[in-house]
Amino acid sequence: MRTMLLTAVVVLIVATADLKVRTTPEGVQAFRPAGANATLTAVPGIKVGHYTLAERPTGCTVILVDGDAVGGVSQRGGAPGTRETDLLNPLNMVDKVNAIVLAGGSAFGLEAASGTVRWLEEHDIGWPAGVARVPIVPAAILFDLGVGGNPKIRPTADCGYKAAEAATTAAVPEGTIGAGAGATVGKFGGAGRATKSGIGSASIALPNGLIVAAIVAVNAVGDVVDPATGKIVAGVRNPDGTFADARKILRSGVDTPPPRAGENTTIGVVATNAKLSKALAARMALMADDGYARAISPSHTNGDGDTIFSLATGRWDGTANITVIGALAAEAMADAVVRAATQATSVAGIPAARDLRK
Amino acid sequence: MTRASRLRASRYGAQAALLAVIAAAACAHAAVENNTLTAINGIKVGHYTLAERPTGCTVILFDGHAVGGLSQRGSAPGTRDTDLLKPTSAADRIDAVVLSGGSAYGLDAANGTMRWLDERAGSGLSGLSRQSGGAAPADGMDVPIVSSAVLIDLWVGGKPSIRPGADCGYQAAAAANSAPVQEGSVGAGAGATVGKMIGREHAMKGGIGSADVEMPNGLRVAAIVVVNALGDVIDPSTGAVVAGARNDDGSLADVRRLLRSGATLQRTSVGENTTLAVVATNARLTKSDVSRVASMADAGIARAIVPAHTTADGDTVFAVANGTWSGDANVTAIGALAADVLANAIVRAATQATSVAGIPAARDLRRR
Repeated sequence: MRTMLLTAVVVLIVATADLKVRTTPEGVQAFRPAGANATLTAVPGIKVGHYTLAERPTGCTVILVDGDAVGGVSQRGGAPGTRETDLLNPLNMVDKVNAIVLAGGSAFGLEAASGTVRWLEEHDIGWPAGVARVPIVPAAILFDLGVGGNPKIRPTADCGYKAAEAATTAAVPEGTIGAGAGATVGKFGGAGRATKSGIGSASIALPNGLIVAAIVAVNAVGDVVDPATGKIVAGVRNPDGTFADARKILRSGVDTPPPRAGENTTIGVVATNAKLSKALAARMALMADDGYARAISPSHTNGDGDTIFSLATGRWDGTANITVIGALAAEAMADAVVRAATQATSVAGIPAARDLRK
Repeated sequence: MTRASRLRASRYGAQAALLAVIAAAACAHAAVENNTLTAINGIKVGHYTLAERPTGCTVILFDGHAVGGLSQRGSAPGTRDTDLLKPTSAADRIDAVVLSGGSAYGLDAANGTMRWLDERAGSGLSGLSRQSGGAAPADGMDVPIVSSAVLIDLWVGGKPSIRPGADCGYQAAAAANSAPVQEGSVGAGAGATVGKMIGREHAMKGGIGSADVEMPNGLRVAAIVVVNALGDVIDPSTGAVVAGARNDDGSLADVRRLLRSGATLQRTSVGENTTLAVVATNARLTKSDVSRVASMADAGIARAIVPAHTTADGDTVFAVANGTWSGDANVTAIGALAADVLANAIVRAATQATSVAGIPAARDLRRR
C-alpha cells in the first residue's frame, strides 16, 4: 500500500514536471530559477540598450556584442529596410559583427546605426582594417510613422548612440519601449483595428550549458498566435475588444485591402553562446525565421520587411549540432514574439492585449 | 421488451440512422467536392508507386500558361530546373513539377515526364507549342519546362538500389488526371516518414497530403505535399502533435519538449528526410509575385513541422499560378492562404498515411 502510494506520488510529480516543460512560454519560464535572466542578455557577452523618443512613440534598440560575434541574416519579408545585410552573406569576407541596431522610423531610422558606429569607434571596437577599426553594425528598421502624431519624429544617430550607451547585461525591458515603442499588430483587417505590440525577449538554457535566446520588435501585418495552443494573443480587434482572427478573415474571403508598406515589419535577433561558422550562423537565422511563421499569421507579407539577425558568440566550449540550435532559435523567437504582444502597453489610443483582457 | 432493451434498441437505431446520414453525406461530398490540388482548373496530378519497394513519384501537370516560383530553404536539397524559376531568369512558364522519392537518383523521374510531354508536343500539353498557338513545332525546339525535387527514402523497406527512374515519371504523367488527388502512402509519399529526431527506429509514416480553399469570389489556392520530415507534424490550430517521434511505449515524444529539455538527440542523418510541396492558385500572377507566394507558403511548413528547414531536410516549395481565374486578389491574401492550405495538406499527409514496412501511421496509433 505504501509502495503504491509512493508510486502514485512519484507519477504525479513526474506528470506535473512533464506539464511544466511543455512548450508554452509561461511553462518554460516557470521552470527557471527565480530571478534568472530569461531574455537575450542571458547569453554572456550580449548587452541590450533601448532609447525611446519622448516626442512620439518610436525609438531604437541596440544589441551590443562584447568584442565580436559571427553573424547571419534571414531577410524574407517583402518590404525591408536594412543596412550591412549583404556583408552577412556567407560568401562575403567579414565574418564578425559588433552590434545590431533595430529601429523605428522607416528607412529614416537606419540613421540610428550611424550613432552606434560612432559609439563603437569611441570605444575602439571594430573590424581591424589597418588604419582604423571599422565597427560592423547591421541594422533593420520597422515602419511606425503613422503612430502617435508627427511622422517627422524619427530615431536618428543620437538614438543609436544613446541606446548603445545605455546597453547593459540586465534582463531586457520588454513591451512599449525602444524599437517597439510604436509597434503594432493586427493590420490585416484594415485601419483602426490594430493592437499595440512591442519588444519581447526569451531565452532557453540547456543543462549542458548551451544558451539560445531571441529579441524581437513585432510590428506585423498579421496577428500574434501562441503556437502552443493556436490561440490569438493580439491582432485584429472587433468593436467589442475581442480578436477577429486574421486566419478567419482570410478564409472568409472578405475583401481586405493589401497591406500598406508604411506600417509594418517584424525585426529581431537570435543569439547563442555556441561557436558557429558564418554559414551555420546564416542557417540559424533561417531556422529562427520559422518562429515568425509560427507566432505571426500571416507572416512575411509584401507589406512586412521581416528580418532576423543571428549572433554566435562562441563562448561556450560544448558541441551542439546546428539543427538543435536552429530549432531552439525558432522556439525562442516564437516565445519572444508572444511576449512582445503580452508585455506591450497601450500607446496613442492603440490598446494592448493586457488592457483588452481587463 | 424491457425498458432498458427498448432504450438500447432506440439508441442503436439512432446510431444507425446517424451513420447512414454521415455515409450519405460522405458519398454526396465525394461526388461533388474536390478538396485537393486538382480542384484548380488546368491542374492534373498522377502518382506512380513502385512495386519492389515503397517509393515512387508524383507528377503535377499544368495545362495552359502557368507561371512558377520557388522557396528552397531546407539544407539538403535535391532539385532540377529551379534556377529558371528565379524572377530574374527568362523562362516565364512551367509545364510540370515532378516530386520523387529515391534521393538524387530520383531526379531521373523528370526525364520520363519530359519524354511524355515531348511526345505530346503540339497537343497543348507541352512547352513552346502554346507560344506557337498550339501548332505542332516543326523544328523539335519544343522544350517542356519540368522542375523537380526529390526526397530521401532509400532506407525504407530494404533494397536501396530500387529508386524511381524515368519510367516512373512517364507513367505518373500518363496517369495524371483531374480527379481528387489520392493521398497517403502513394507516389512520392510511398516511402515518406516523419519523426526522426531521436532516430529513425522511432519514426512514423508520412505520405502525400493535399488541401484547397475556394473564396466566394472564385479565387482558389491549393497545395500538395510529400511529408518526409526529420521533425514532427503539428496541427497548428491546436499545437498538438499529429505524428512524430515515438517513445519506446509507442506514445508521441513531442520533439519540442525534447529540444527544450536538452535531451540527447540522435545525430541527424542527411539520408532520410525532406518535405516537398507545390502550392497553386488560379489567379494570374507575375513571376516575382508567385515567388512571394512560394516564400509565404513556406510558413505552412514552419507551422506544421517542428523542427523544419533543418540541415538534414531539403525542404522545397514550388508555387504555380495558372491564371484560369480573372479576378483580382492581392498577393498577401494568396500567400497567406497558400501557407494555410499547405499546413492543412501536411496534417492530411500524416492522417491519411498507412503503415508501410513496419513503420506505423498515425491512424494505426489511434486504433490501439
